[in-house]
Amino acid sequence: MEEYAIDIPVEPPKELRSLFIPIPPDYVEDVYKSDDFLVLVGPQHPGSGHMRLIVRVKGDIIQEVIPDPGYVHRSMEKLAENRLYIQNIPLVERPAIMDAPNFNLGYIRAIEEALDIEVPERAKYIRTMLAELGRVGTHLYDAAILAVFMGHTTGFMYPFGLRELICEALVRVTGARFTSSFIIPGGVRRDVDDSTFKWIYDMTLAMERRLKSFERIFVKNPTVIARLKDVGVLTKEEAIKYGVVGPFLRASGVEYDVRKVEPYEVYDELAWDMPVSDAGDGYSRLLVRVNEVGQSLSVVRQCIKQMPEGRVISDQIAEKGEDIRGSFYDSLYDLVLPSGEYTTLTEGARGTIIYSIISDGESNVPYRVRIVTPGWLYLRGFMESMKGERLADLQAIYGSFGYFPPEADR
Amino acid sequence: MIDVFQILNYFFGIFSSDMMDIPLIAPIVDYLMQIPLLNILVALILWKPFFAVVIMPGLVVLTLYLLYIVWYERKLTARVQWRVGPLEVARPIRGAIQALADGIRYFFQEAIVHREAHRPYYIQLPILAFIPVLLPILFIPAGSAVGIYTPYSIQLIVTFIALIPITIVAIGWASNSRFAYIGSVREAFMYFAYEVPFIIAVISMVFLYGSGDAYVAVEKQSAIPGALLNPIAFIVYIIAMLMATSRLPFEIPEADQEIAFGPFVEYSGILFGLVMVLAYEKLYIMTLLFTILFLGGWSGIYCPLLGDLNGPLWLFIKSIVVISILVIVRSIYARYRLDQALRIGWTSMLTLSIIALIIGGAVGVWLS
Amino acid sequence: MIRLEKVKTDPVETLKRHAEAIGEAVRQAIKPDRITVEYPRERRKYPECFRGFIVFDKEKCISCFRCAQICPANAIQMEYFENAYPGIDYAKCIFCHFCVDSCPTGALNTSKVHDVAFKAMEEMRLSTKQIAKLPEIVREEIQTVEYYVDRNTWKLVRKKELDSLEVPPKPVKVKERKASCIEPESCIGCRLCANVCPQNAIKVERLKATEEGGTGYILKVQTEQCTGCGLCVRQCPMQILRLEEVGE
Repeated sequence: MEEYAIDIPVEPPKELRSLFIPIPPDYVEDVYKSDDFLVLVGPQHPGSGHMRLIVRVKGDIIQEVIPDPGYVHRSMEKLAENRLYIQNIPLVERPAIMDAPNFNLGYIRAIEEALDIEVPERAKYIRTMLAELGRVGTHLYDAAILAVFMGHTTGFMYPFGLRELICEALVRVTGARFTSSFIIPGGVRRDVDDSTFKWIYDMTLAMERRLKSFERIFVKNPTVIARLKDVGVLTKEEAIKYGVVGPFLRASGVEYDVRKVEPYEVYDELAWDMPVSDAGDGYSRLLVRVNEVGQSLSVVRQCIKQMPEGRVISDQIAEKGEDIRGSFYDSLYDLVLPSGEYTTLTEGARGTIIYSIISDGESNVPYRVRIVTPGWLYLRGFMESMKGERLADLQAIYGSFGYFPPEADR
Repeated sequence: MIDVFQILNYFFGIFSSDMMDIPLIAPIVDYLMQIPLLNILVALILWKPFFAVVIMPGLVVLTLYLLYIVWYERKLTARVQWRVGPLEVARPIRGAIQALADGIRYFFQEAIVHREAHRPYYIQLPILAFIPVLLPILFIPAGSAVGIYTPYSIQLIVTFIALIPITIVAIGWASNSRFAYIGSVREAFMYFAYEVPFIIAVISMVFLYGSGDAYVAVEKQSAIPGALLNPIAFIVYIIAMLMATSRLPFEIPEADQEIAFGPFVEYSGILFGLVMVLAYEKLYIMTLLFTILFLGGWSGIYCPLLGDLNGPLWLFIKSIVVISILVIVRSIYARYRLDQALRIGWTSMLTLSIIALIIGGAVGVWLS
Repeated sequence: MIRLEKVKTDPVETLKRHAEAIGEAVRQAIKPDRITVEYPRERRKYPECFRGFIVFDKEKCISCFRCAQICPANAIQMEYFENAYPGIDYAKCIFCHFCVDSCPTGALNTSKVHDVAFKAMEEMRLSTKQIAKLPEIVREEIQTVEYYVDRNTWKLVRKKELDSLEVPPKPVKVKERKASCIEPESCIGCRLCANVCPQNAIKVERLKATEEGGTGYILKVQTEQCTGCGLCVRQCPMQILRLEEVGE
């Protein structure tokens, strides 16, 4: 086959080249020559989020997807190096909107590990409850985004309505709808009264009833099943190979959950199951998360039932008084971690969150904070799962992974 | 001068010979008919062909219907979705003039024509798209009011409905944008998916009634409505209607999240207002045909006060009820993929429509 | 462990699912479980612990700078009147309320206000006088809404009364503390503590060369004037000052 010269200007001007597509010009030329198309989805596209997907399609079939993340990179790790340990709390919970308690918890656990702080039981239960509320909220959020990516507006509105209950529960406990900054080294900021616990307990039951509506109209909807079934399949081997984490790994049949493998807080004292599916397709990814919502609500109920009495803040942090109010500054502002590296694994809603704090042992700011978010970990698997699917499936797979660019970009 | 009066009288004679007889407004009409020059206008409005095409079930109620359905759909969707829906424009009537407010806003908005567009076509086509929408109305009879009477009205209506996607494809082509292009291609694909089962379903009903004449069809449904005579055709027609008007779950050509409103992505201002209602207009036309074929057309309880208005009114009411029920699918379903929609069109729907054809033939023999 | 089955899609099951979805939509259309809060016309009732705009009580403030120093967003800057008092830049504030929790005297308190409109960025920088009272907002609401849940239902309960947006100040359970010098012999006489003290409660005197050693300076804290703000403690380069609890 002879080659034709193409007078399509595939090369951007030299001085602007760095601003353009982050793929080599040879690749673009190769695509044009091989009769494929490059479709740039995003970052302004309604179905892409804050990222660009460079999709190479042959006809309607996706050959390869190259992600171009980083549009919402906020240099969180660098910012964290210039703040007190305690001031980093609002920062590290910013990546994910609804998943703030889990992000907060991971960071605090790294500090507690370094300082060897014993957390009171009651605080542990409250933390677990918050983390699970955050998980439910995130799963609902992701299900809503998946629904709207497939054009199902009711499936979008129901979880966002239900999420309002989670927000209300967080308001009643922490005072903020999300990004609550409630978990601090040594415990939580405030004790929670029984009427709030009762409200949350009732809320979980009321929510389960409403979730049935959502299941009927969205999860078990035949059009949704048709769109997601056998789409974006990651087999068990592939999922392990590409380092997929969280519910998406469990959807591919791998029984891995940090809460089971290395239980933290009180997860080993509670009875809950890990939903696993073998299919590895988009629908099983949705289904695993729907089942996890049920498990999480049950964990929240168990936390409230088994809630022990006692302090909510360790006496290593606040010696007197059960409340940190008033002595927040004096207790926490000059935390200095012993020199060394402290790493924790936390099971966030979308997967494993890795926090690694390196301290030089002298200054009251961290030397280095490494945050590896689940979105970043499963990005590769997400890209690989799209190969061989149709272009219209891109949004469905995107939604089924619940990929959240601010979380991945940090 | 005499010539002008003669011509006017000639027209007046034509108009007044075939006027809608509505006892309710008869005194007013009688009074107006005595006023020179105004009487010719009144006669024109009440002239049956003109009335059918322009007033009811034609242009005027089409506009009213558009204002109603856009609001109603949003309101119903909101109701299903635990929301309130449009409310702030005219709060006492629950935001009922929201669509009108949006229309006015579109009207005063700048209609941007981008550089790559085929400018003449880009501007013309949204307006030209009205032609295939309005052509079927010429042949849709409503009681005694009919634009053009022909014994092949059903076939003609189907023919003109089939013209509508061409304008949409042309709009996408004139927009000259990649999303609009993909949208046009998808529209063309969807056209293939629904058109064959749709036509077969209509033909099965024509078989059933033994004639393409809407009057015959309505007459034969006096005892049992067509929906019960041939339920398979009824189902095929509804699904084809959803596909043809790109309602969910077949909202494939306009898929917001995939191709950003497809063929209409580049439009703005009043041009967008025009193209946005295109699908609703198509839905209206197809529902009129649907009512005639399956729901007994304009037959209904006769109110002597309304006289000739009974037919158009019943046809309109039945259509509005059908559409109002139909728009709920928007809040039930997600969007199918293009290949899935094509598969549905060419397998289950085609099979069903052929079964409907057989049933149509059999029931037709039994009826005649 | 729950092992989820692969979803089955036989025609009967599909038809059943269609019927369920349509049934649910129709049920909602007839009797909607509506949960919209029509916000400007009605207001959600928030709990006392709601983290809203911050109200400042000048009488309680001891000018300790704790709020300004803990703020993760650098939103608090101190203004100097007779003493230093905080002002809040709401363009930066992230409502973490670390400042409220840091305040040892309860001078900063939360409120339920969360919807203040500003016309310009400069206006968002509120001075001490502006944060001393609740921010002015236009309250259009005629009723208050609360989420009511029991084990089966979740609904909105609307009450005709208006919710007070003010939150009564909660007492702070912190014992009174005063500055004291724990190692007077290490004082280098830099006078930083005396300069920084808002109450002029610290006196540093130079002694004549003494025989017992020491640096020749003596630091006196007049406890009756000391408010326990701890500025001197944070300032002292030798770290020989401590806040010590007084009373029981």
